[in-house]
Amino acid sequence: MSIHIPEPAVAETGSGADADIRLHFEVQRLYAGEAQLLDQHRYADWLELFTDDLHYWAPVRTNRLRRQQALADGAPGEVAIFDETKASLAWRIRRFDSGMAWAEDPPSRSRHLITNVMVRDAEEPGEYVAESAFLCYRNRLEREVDLYAGGRTDLLRRDPDDGRLLIARRTILLDQNVLLAKNISTFL
Amino acid sequence: MTATPVRPTDRLAGVPRPSVDVSAYFDLDHGLVDRTIFSDQALYQQELRRVFAPSWLFLAHESQFAKPGDFFTTYMGEDPVIVAMGRDRRLRAFLNACRHRGMRVCRADAGATKAFTCSYHGWSYDTSGKLVNVPNQGDYPDHFEQERWGLVEVARLDSYKGLVFATWNPGAPPLVEALGGMTWYMDAMLDRDPEGTEVVGGVHKWVLEGNWKLAAEQFASDWYHVNISHASALMVMSPTGKGPKSEIVQTPGRQYADPLGHGHGFPTHPKSRFDDRVVHAHYDYEALRERLGDARVEGPMTTGHATVFPNFSYLPVNGSIRVWHPKGPDRMEVWAWTLVDRSMPDDVKDAQRLYNLRTFGPTGIFEQDDGENWSEVQATAHGFVSGSMTLNYQMGLGLEAEDGVHPGTTGRLYTDGAARGLYARWRDLMNTPAWHEKDEKDAA
Repeated sequence: MSIHIPEPAVAETGSGADADIRLHFEVQRLYAGEAQLLDQHRYADWLELFTDDLHYWAPVRTNRLRRQQALADGAPGEVAIFDETKASLAWRIRRFDSGMAWAEDPPSRSRHLITNVMVRDAEEPGEYVAESAFLCYRNRLEREVDLYAGGRTDLLRRDPDDGRLLIARRTILLDQNVLLAKNISTFL
Repeated sequence: MTATPVRPTDRLAGVPRPSVDVSAYFDLDHGLVDRTIFSDQALYQQELRRVFAPSWLFLAHESQFAKPGDFFTTYMGEDPVIVAMGRDRRLRAFLNACRHRGMRVCRADAGATKAFTCSYHGWSYDTSGKLVNVPNQGDYPDHFEQERWGLVEVARLDSYKGLVFATWNPGAPPLVEALGGMTWYMDAMLDRDPEGTEVVGGVHKWVLEGNWKLAAEQFASDWYHVNISHASALMVMSPTGKGPKSEIVQTPGRQYADPLGHGHGFPTHPKSRFDDRVVHAHYDYEALRERLGDARVEGPMTTGHATVFPNFSYLPVNGSIRVWHPKGPDRMEVWAWTLVDRSMPDDVKDAQRLYNLRTFGPTGIFEQDDGENWSEVQATAHGFVSGSMTLNYQMGLGLEAEDGVHPGTTGRLYTDGAARGLYARWRDLMNTPAWHEKDEKDAA
């Protein structure tokens, strides 16, 4: 089985509607390809989509009084669902190669759906902020079903060698308070 | 006209609920447990009445409350409670239910407030639980006594080295007595530094489709599962990245079984260490030996596991402290905090936080596999035959002894000793009428 990896593409210089459409299409393809890698459990390939200085972060979401909404999403340095570097993600992924990661043996069936993509220029020239919504359906063993839904905000940057878009920062806001699953044994 | 009757728990006598003698589910002298205790609905209801309601239960860490008005909402058994610091800076805990119709009066996880005002009819309570405002009060009868309708408060609340516990049981022994011999072991985590501990902001909360005792028992008594259940994590963490070292598979160690149902297993190692390098480098082990003694530094401070009966557990090396909230016989909710020493520099606290969330919690490389075990144990417990099968708790049977190093009775690291102790305590509480049942008898 193979998937189509987006070919290296360099956005056309200059601005205008054409460039916007090309960029948007490129990001959409990046995310569709990423989702396919995750659903096929190709985590080592998935890791190649990130820069070496990656910060991959999913804070905890809390219920707060309306006047204290600023505190509703966990702050940096607090307990988090993920708070990862590329090295720590690699560490997590190595576990799956052991042949003894029982939470995924037999493997789950999953489908990452990525939608509502919005791309804008970041402060640094040549970097982009991409927002997206995700719905990850996991079906496991006989009848276990988990739904992980939320939003992601990525900082995208081009690989200096081949020009492809890489993910340098990812913030994941999972739309749950108590995580309604026994674990998260995939990535979002 | 008669005044509202005063009752210690603000409960009417009600109809006594039937309780069963659970002795037949156990033969602990021979290490046998009937699996019915993990899935039976009636036993679960009895457990809420006779195990959870009378026991000291973990609520929160003192560091979650800095100033008057700070609050945190949690559960005691299935009872929702608010823990709040009053204007007098005292911590109190109340049922999170309005005295009028039972509406949850606080729907935030944590925060700061002057009052808890019910969003149903507007009864309002101050941070010490006192009812301070009742809309349309003129329409209540003359004998309505506002001071009697404060939030239902726990009978006792106390803390042990930062950990806040409470109980509904007015006849409960003092907290330190209820912890008993366990405090010597707990201090290996709670008393490493004169300034004590604090928790990192935020709480991991997630659901597990398993009976709460599966988790409480494992943390009390089960090093055995580590080598198999967590084989993938051990492999990742081994120096070569290829597989666990042989000394991990045959780890020497001891397991403490407390007569009050608590348990703590720990490898013994002359060079006690934290798995995270930064945290390991932070500690002055000579000073720790002086403070806590060699036996604790080389024992319960290592990569051990522990449960304070009934449902508070911790992992000293990870700084993970957690409570297993019961949610019916087939489900629990895990609430987990990260504990650090207050005096640690920020980079060390952060290293501990990251190590903990990468190993434990719902995405942790260890804990992912625990969730799979418990949910599949529970999923196979619902048949008549499978649900009443006898389970084997015989490991280490007859090998418990006083070893002259660790206080109380200990066994080998690989033993079901603390699990047998936990179930003996559970059985005894299940078979003993709780204080509220005695009230009912007295009232009758």
